[in-house]
Amino acid sequence: MNGPHDIGGMHNMEPIPIEENEPVFHSEWEAKVFAMSFATFGNYFPVDETRHASERMPPGQYLSSSYYERWLYALELLITEHNFVTKAEIEERINQLAQSKT
Amino acid sequence: MTAAQAEELLRNGLSCRAENDTFAQFQVGDCVRARVMHPQTYTRLPRYVRGKVGIIVKDRGVYVFPDTVGQRLDTKPQHVYSVQFAAQELWGTNAPANDTLFIDLFDDHLEAV
Repeated sequence: MNGPHDIGGMHNMEPIPIEENEPVFHSEWEAKVFAMSFATFGNYFPVDETRHASERMPPGQYLSSSYYERWLYALELLITEHNFVTKAEIEERINQLAQSKT
Repeated sequence: MTAAQAEELLRNGLSCRAENDTFAQFQVGDCVRARVMHPQTYTRLPRYVRGKVGIIVKDRGVYVFPDTVGQRLDTKPQHVYSVQFAAQELWGTNAPANDTLFIDLFDDHLEAV
């Protein structure tokens, strides 16, 4: 698909920032997203289906999201499309967690 | 997938090479055109090479086809080639005259010129 991932030839993208001593993960949630996604994808989805899932992120959102935000989008999209969980169940769980923190 | 299998996969990656051989549509040295297509579904053919003419410089062997695997269709094993495009073919006469780009493309991405 002609998605936001296909940026070859696009102007004004600026150079890729290179960090010195770059950590594997920049925060704990990234590690969790990676672990959840890797386990789920490895068990249930062909690798190209997972790539296509992140490419289906709306272009404006994709270009302003970080790498692991795109992984999370792909995970939520695939598990809801394949009826593992519903969007409502994800929202409900987010609300539960938000309330337990206050 | 067990934890041990996950570690193995992370360390060594995943091979998408296909076991069976299949007919190669093109040979090293052939001129090819990347097809013009705009599927809504998954494709590994970038926009900037579509419709452009390049040369097959290497046959990398037979691999499953991501464009169909991504839709859970047939694995459609086929040859993958390193295709060389002149920078000026892709980006016009302002691009450096001697620069070229190599990109791996599948049989189904290409047509004879």
